[in-house]
Amino acid sequence: MSILGGGIFKGMAVTLRNFLGSYTNKKERLPTIDYSWRADGALPQGIGDYPKEKGEQLSDTTTVTEYSRNFPMLLHDGGEPMDTVRCVACQICERECPPQCIYIEKDYDENGKYIKRPAVFDIDVSVCMSCQICVEVCPFDAIVMNSQFELSTPDRFGGLLMRRDDLLKSNDYYHKIHPEEAAARDAKIAAEKAAKEAKKKAAAEKARAAAEKKATEAAKEDAK
Amino acid sequence: MSFELLIDILIATVPLMLIFATVFAFTTWLERKALARIQNRIGPNKVGIPCTRIGLFGLGQPTADGIKMIFKENIVPTGADRLFHLLAPILALIPSMLVLCFLPLDFPWLNENSVKAFLLDGAVIFFFAITGLNTLAVFMAGWASRNKYSLLGGMRAVAQMISYEIPLVLSAVIVVMMVGSLDAAEIAGEQKGGNWFVFYPWGFAAFVIFFIAALAETNRSPFDLPEAESEIIAGYFTEYSGFKFALFFLAEYIAMFAISGLAVTLFLGGGDGPGLAVLPWLSVIWFLAKIFALIAVMIWLRGTLPRLRVDQLMGFAWKFMLPLSILNIFVAGFAWHAKQLDSQFIMVITWVISLAVLYGAASGLNQLNRGKVRPREYKYAE
Repeated sequence: MSILGGGIFKGMAVTLRNFLGSYTNKKERLPTIDYSWRADGALPQGIGDYPKEKGEQLSDTTTVTEYSRNFPMLLHDGGEPMDTVRCVACQICERECPPQCIYIEKDYDENGKYIKRPAVFDIDVSVCMSCQICVEVCPFDAIVMNSQFELSTPDRFGGLLMRRDDLLKSNDYYHKIHPEEAAARDAKIAAEKAAKEAKKKAAAEKARAAAEKKATEAAKEDAK
Repeated sequence: MSFELLIDILIATVPLMLIFATVFAFTTWLERKALARIQNRIGPNKVGIPCTRIGLFGLGQPTADGIKMIFKENIVPTGADRLFHLLAPILALIPSMLVLCFLPLDFPWLNENSVKAFLLDGAVIFFFAITGLNTLAVFMAGWASRNKYSLLGGMRAVAQMISYEIPLVLSAVIVVMMVGSLDAAEIAGEQKGGNWFVFYPWGFAAFVIFFIAALAETNRSPFDLPEAESEIIAGYFTEYSGFKFALFFLAEYIAMFAISGLAVTLFLGGGDGPGLAVLPWLSVIWFLAKIFALIAVMIWLRGTLPRLRVDQLMGFAWKFMLPLSILNIFVAGFAWHAKQLDSQFIMVITWVISLAVLYGAASGLNQLNRGKVRPREYKYAE
């Protein structure tokens, strides 16, 4: 039996560890980067502490820990994105999304046949609450979280709607930002694939055995 | 009114105002710093000495905030009730300032003959009567703003404050029972020499209930539903800006100090502490230090706990705290009768039995109220 209110004390211990650790173990417990070093001669006085040189991104692997999750992205396995995209437009994430910020349309070829990839895949940044439920429900490991956080834009209508091509990221990029998680996911996919193949092989084996048996029986019948 | 009396009154009241207003500014800075460190951030560290880059750990932040608040435009929404929109922050501040006078702070410059800010033998009951006004101010602000978020915040505040007032008062009743007096100075005097009520099981239970209810009364996290930023913008002060907003802010913090001061008086021995026999004026220091310790715990809790849902909030007050505090009154009654027998052995037995009864009741109530927790179910996946 747990102590009454023990959960609160546990939580308080965690926050206390953060509080004290931010003074002693700055590397781990105080990852905020103070950009005031820029003002020490590098920039004229009075320039703010969040300067953006052209093209500079703060949300790259050097400033964000690998546990940072901000916004979903679509994975492809390298090469031409739309050829290797993992998403098959099954729309599970669209229906499961609590704030309903995902919009998907299936892709069809010229004969009207469904090809397994999305024609439209939009996520509204202003609505997404970063809950990661889409990642949990995806059966194809096609949607995962990105750690990119600089999503502000001067255009509040089109700019906040992430299109399919903005969301497409390669598996290599995923390995770069979340190495542990990506390795685990790859292992899981490989295991699933192996299991599926083994099953297929077993089924084929069984079918062949059955066919052989039938053939021998038929031969026996003929012999009689 | 004679001139000397006026001087006496000023000597008694002005330090209170000065000390707590200064401490308020310092506390806002402290809270922001502590919360930032808890969340692995740095917190305010830029505002120091003007026109230089000397940060002084951001100690200039309260001053900068104050200057900003004073010079900001006072916006009143169209269709708002201008009179009550103006009155609400003032009405919020007055009761919280007023109850500071009841705290048994023995300033060294006050002697036997000087005028105490308040000498009232019903201090505890008066405290609750006055702080009850706060609810009215909050609802007034919500109503006068003519804004749905404000009104929602005001309604939440009324429901919350009325619910939590009951366990708050019932836990204070225990101390009043044990001492047999409503006078704050007398209650503090009873606990002289380390005989603090928090060291008894009934006193500890009452202290915990009192502290939780005090968090709810002052709208502190995790009970900050009336001003829930992520749900209803800022609740009842959505439509307040400039100095009126600053007044609300001030009122909230002063109310925190006042209710912590009452908790210190009732359960933590008032100004009691080591070294009083040599330096009597240390009692003020001890009193303020204890208040600060409670405030620090409040900040710590704010950095730890997420906000409750409305039904959880109400359920916690009525299904857990209220039965427990009523049971605690009975336990304290038995303990009082046991104390009359004047036997060390019976005292120890009472201590153990009351601890067992209270803990058993608390965990029983916890089990009864436990909601069913299931893993999240997906409707479409799989």
